Amino acid sequence: MVDLKNINNILLIGMAGGLAQLTANLITIKHPHIKILGVDSRKPTTDLDKNNIEFRRMRYTRGNFEKVFREYKFDLVLHLGRMSHANNDNASLIKRLDLNLMGTSRILDLALKHNVKKVIILSTYHVYGALHDNPVFIDENHPLRASIRCPELRDVVEMDQICTNWMWKNKNEIETIVLRPCSIIGPQIRNTMSQYLTTPYAPLPVDFNPMFQFLHEFDMGQVLMESISKVPTGIYNVAPDDVISLKDARRKTEVPSIPVPIFMLEQAAKVIKFIWSFPDYFINYIKFSCIIDNNALKKHIGDDFFRFNARESLELLKMD
Amino acid sequence: MFNYFKNSFNFSAFNSSLKANKFKPIFEELNQKYPKGSDPWGLNIRKSIKSLEKIYPFYKHYFKVRVLGKENVEDKAYMVVSNHTGQIAIDGMLISTAFVLEVFPPRILRPMAERFITSIPFIGSWAAQGGAVLGDRQNCINLLKKGQSILVFPEGVKGIAKSTKDYYKLQNFTKGFYRICAKLGVEILPVSVVGAEEFFPYVYQAKYLANIIGIPALPISANFIPLPSPVDIHIGKPIRIPQKISHDSSDAEITKEVKKIENAIEEMLKEGLKKRRPFFANQNLKDK
Repeated sequence: MVDLKNINNILLIGMAGGLAQLTANLITIKHPHIKILGVDSRKPTTDLDKNNIEFRRMRYTRGNFEKVFREYKFDLVLHLGRMSHANNDNASLIKRLDLNLMGTSRILDLALKHNVKKVIILSTYHVYGALHDNPVFIDENHPLRASIRCPELRDVVEMDQICTNWMWKNKNEIETIVLRPCSIIGPQIRNTMSQYLTTPYAPLPVDFNPMFQFLHEFDMGQVLMESISKVPTGIYNVAPDDVISLKDARRKTEVPSIPVPIFMLEQAAKVIKFIWSFPDYFINYIKFSCIIDNNALKKHIGDDFFRFNARESLELLKMD
Repeated sequence: MFNYFKNSFNFSAFNSSLKANKFKPIFEELNQKYPKGSDPWGLNIRKSIKSLEKIYPFYKHYFKVRVLGKENVEDKAYMVVSNHTGQIAIDGMLISTAFVLEVFPPRILRPMAERFITSIPFIGSWAAQGGAVLGDRQNCINLLKKGQSILVFPEGVKGIAKSTKDYYKLQNFTKGFYRICAKLGVEILPVSVVGAEEFFPYVYQAKYLANIIGIPALPISANFIPLPSPVDIHIGKPIRIPQKISHDSSDAEITKEVKKIENAIEEMLKEGLKKRRPFFANQNLKDK
């Protein structure tokens, strides 16, 4: 297992995202000897350069990555740069496939070539799919069925599978962790779920009420940091123990909702998207539950690792 | 017949049972058992109690449910195995109600629902809030490990969707439930329900048409609303899994043991049919 004392340089991909910034801050505050190079193709909203954190805006091409891998001797790669599905136009699709699939392969190959000690990849629970016949709880060995109902999620599943195949293939050379967190929410994260939970008059299904696990961004940052030294090679679901129904979650954030049957919502989505861009698969995830099993990770980080339960996370989201 | 209907639904009793709220201690115990008010499978105690309050008048005064063998139930998790009758799963609802209101200590049974149920708007979420879960092996194991009792109907759709000529004929049991019990060492609690077949006394199962439409069953019934047939729920003595049986035992061994459960429920059914209360729609079935 990697010791944090022996980690000096970290490459953090997806640095413009809220979770990446939070994780970088957590790591550098707790371990001041560590230097982080954060890269992203997006423009950050704030100044990210701090004492031990350097930000570089770059396109995710092989050449650019080769350059940074040569320039810095990375001990660890944190890949939080999966591109989301918020924009559904064709140009975004091509960019997304290139980034999520080809980009990830390039990064993994370079990590191996440049003797990186550990790679941590952030996947998502979306890979399991939101299906009516999902069991409770879904463990890490469950088939990845997201693209059965949502073909647009095939790149997310493929990216996860590229990483896990690569992980087992190279397990003797490099430590690799694939994390599949539940819905991450928090004031710094502007993902679809956080926006949905805090948007007034968002449609709420009247005919379905799936259960959800919500992970606070701070806890996710802590998991990423602790995974460096405490979690061995493998695939891990990340979720707190408690669950909450979607209706209760909306109630907790105290925003008014418009009750709509799902079949109407599927039609209305075409209009709503002009105002609020959200991924097509999202409707499916507010229809059926996808509750993941967190036991594998808890064996390594402990039973009471998470600071916030779902209700507290929602309270904090509301306060933002 | 009209008088029977008139007498079978006593509205004053309907209201008084709610007002008296004699089930307050039971509901308090349920609230203590589920302090979070919900669980990952979608159970919602508040809504479950509300549903029970609505179901109870029908349970007590419309279907006049009697529960026999309550003393066989102890304070532990069981795999409750029952025959399945009545075209729609009213029997499951009545058994679940009985295990909350009439069995001590009260418990919310977790009925294993057919896969298509969870995808039906309103019904899926209503069933989940009341305790029903998708009929999946992993769900069953996880719930039993958490000390929850499961309600299964191993006859499946074949059991519930029968034509009148096949009423009270047990269909072959599936074996999955037995392997789970063998794996976890959980006792089986046999239950037989008498009276539910007569909710819809004259039914023809249009199996060919159901196949074409792609639905599990298509009952064509003389009545659309279930008749107020008096229901008896017989709870048998718990059955332990023999030590020689494991969850990996051969199909032949498991089939033999499952057959014993089937026979036990069949015996309870026969006895139950002898003791059942008269009802105009069961007169032509009483000799079965």
